[in-house]
Amino acid sequence: MKSPFHATRRGLLSAAAALGLAAALPFAAQAQIELKVGYMKHPIQDASLDMMEKWAKANNVTFTRVPMAYNVFMEKVTATLTSGNDQFDIIWHNDDWGQLWEKWVETTDDVKGIENVDKWPLLAFWNAQNKLTVVPMVHTVGTFFYRTDLVKPEEVPKTFAELVSVSQRLQKEGKVKWGYVGGMSMNNTWFAQWWTMWANNCDIFHPMLERDNAKLKAAGFKPAITEPCHREIVEFWWDAINTHKISPPGMTAYGRNEANALFMAGEAAFTLVDSTHYGEFNDPARSKIVGKIGMAPFPMGPRLKQPTSWNEIWGWGIPKGSPPEKKKVAKEMLAAMLADEAGQIEMWKKTGGPPPNIKVWPKIAATDPMFKQLLHAVFEQKPITHSAYYFAEWPAVHKAYSDVVIKALSGKREDIAKTLEEGAPSLTKAAMN
Amino acid sequence: MTISEAELDRPRKPSLFGERQRFMLLLILPAAFGLAFFQILPILTGANASFRDWSLHDPKMTWVGLKHYFYVLSDDGFLKVVLPNTLVFMAVSVAVSLLLGLCLAAILNRKFAGRAVLQTILLLPLMVAPVVAAIMIRWMFNDQFGVVNAALEAVGLSGQPWLAQRWSAFAVILMADIWLWTPWFALLLLAGLQSLPREPFEAAAIDGASPWRVFRFLTLPMLRPVMVVCIAIRAIDAFRTFDIVWTISAGGPARSTELFSIYAYNEAFQAMNFARGSAAAMIGAAIIVVLAMVIFRVLNRWVEVSK
Repeated sequence: MKSPFHATRRGLLSAAAALGLAAALPFAAQAQIELKVGYMKHPIQDASLDMMEKWAKANNVTFTRVPMAYNVFMEKVTATLTSGNDQFDIIWHNDDWGQLWEKWVETTDDVKGIENVDKWPLLAFWNAQNKLTVVPMVHTVGTFFYRTDLVKPEEVPKTFAELVSVSQRLQKEGKVKWGYVGGMSMNNTWFAQWWTMWANNCDIFHPMLERDNAKLKAAGFKPAITEPCHREIVEFWWDAINTHKISPPGMTAYGRNEANALFMAGEAAFTLVDSTHYGEFNDPARSKIVGKIGMAPFPMGPRLKQPTSWNEIWGWGIPKGSPPEKKKVAKEMLAAMLADEAGQIEMWKKTGGPPPNIKVWPKIAATDPMFKQLLHAVFEQKPITHSAYYFAEWPAVHKAYSDVVIKALSGKREDIAKTLEEGAPSLTKAAMN
Repeated sequence: MTISEAELDRPRKPSLFGERQRFMLLLILPAAFGLAFFQILPILTGANASFRDWSLHDPKMTWVGLKHYFYVLSDDGFLKVVLPNTLVFMAVSVAVSLLLGLCLAAILNRKFAGRAVLQTILLLPLMVAPVVAAIMIRWMFNDQFGVVNAALEAVGLSGQPWLAQRWSAFAVILMADIWLWTPWFALLLLAGLQSLPREPFEAAAIDGASPWRVFRFLTLPMLRPVMVVCIAIRAIDAFRTFDIVWTISAGGPARSTELFSIYAYNEAFQAMNFARGSAAAMIGAAIIVVLAMVIFRVLNRWVEVSK
């Protein structure tokens, strides 16, 4: 007769075997590669991720989305990258912080299909060894939107002066409360101050329109904001708000949310914002101007002869901390995203985001008049420069610039030149940090 | 193996902690760990960073001594805008919240129909997250969609671009902070009022003292210890206010409503200079310590005088 001890021991051994098997099973399942993507919750990023997820499912790759708020994204991901851990295998990458991350992300020259993307917006993403560090997701292009129910295509303002006169006419006729609305506060500087600055053939530093950091440094990061071309654009906005009253009095404090809300409420005739907002402007649940939106080239200031534009990208980066086998799969997945024509066409239709593969563009333009308009408004106009500077201190320069110009706009008109003069050294200080 | 009697008889070394003390230490251990890992360690890390070349994107961590401290302490923006803004914000917010809280507490200390309902309504701001409240207030004071301008225009007054001007933006931020914190003062002062002894008040009533004299010479002096605690806690807290300012104005227009915490945040996370942000935070911490000592000393004297 076997003792109770034997029975107990046999039971324990069986339990241990079962536990061992149960523990081994997940390890077997873990052989499937998991890719974690750190991104900002945004319709365009979701559309791009949908393409990747489609490929991941077909290729037995576990695909995990890790959304983060915009306000903390750059800080959080920068801290992750510099710590070298493998928290993410793919991250949202943006021209604004392209240079901050150049040594923390993998090169992407070998991603299949990268030859089919526009080369102009890649400037921010070359590392010190002249290798690319991004795979484009979408073009973020400043787009001048107008209300087609108020303005015929031939009446769309082509100059700053026309922007004022057409706006005032529409206001006088009671068709609209405001002519132009756009974000002006920090981080929204593109949507008023900067597009007019470039449209007046002007820039932030000397040599103007230069983006070679060595040349900028050699010139001592000398600010151009005291130049007449720049003073003119500050005076233009001061007049737009206070004299001509084509823009709301509180616009210097607006972010793009406030400006977009006014445009979508039908309160303004014109705005300028990334084309990626076209989707929300045309969303019946949120907008009163659905189907009444046109796109046109930027109106020009007195110092520009041909319309300009800006054309940058959002992209995806691969952290160096990700394990080699995951990096390889991540590159395959990003290549599949670039090759997914149907997915990219769908992304444009859903969001208004111009897809990264420029070979898809003629196909979309052939069937979609809005895309044709966007091609004319932005991509057929030659940018005179990039819509940012690409050195690590750029965020600090942006803040310094915003503070000086908002101060000038908040004061008296006759003090504008003095305020710009007094504030100019703060830009050099920020750049030479 | 057995223990010999000799071993049992040997006098034992007195333990450093008795059983009761050990139990108490065990109880505070989780909190002590929490404090060490989530408070003390980050403070030490920040202090270490403030003496180094430590940008967020390229943490070289080379020793630079007091360089960042000199930068902050010689920065005109910090000295002429940020510090005065912070001190004004702290003084006005605490004083007005205290005053309104005291009035509310005095009202709620009386018996009347609907007191419980009123008390619940008045405490509602305490239940709203400051960021949520700040977002609501930002839209309330929007010059186009805001309910404030709509109300002004309804009575024939012109709306204002509240957030585009320095002092109106500062006033909106202050108002939001006061709205959020007045109920906290009211709650604590009400508890203080309800714990006051009855006898002095009965004596005053027999003497025929007016309600104002009762309040001035009895209630207020006896309530001073509670008020001191409220003022000290809230003043220190007000000094480091971040969320509502960031959400309502982000320190704008043109840094004109920037407070100390926004300054440190901008340096650390917008300019990406983690070291300089840490140095600013350390300087702020030193200022808070000095201010707290001054506040405690002044208020303690005030309490002593009232005894």
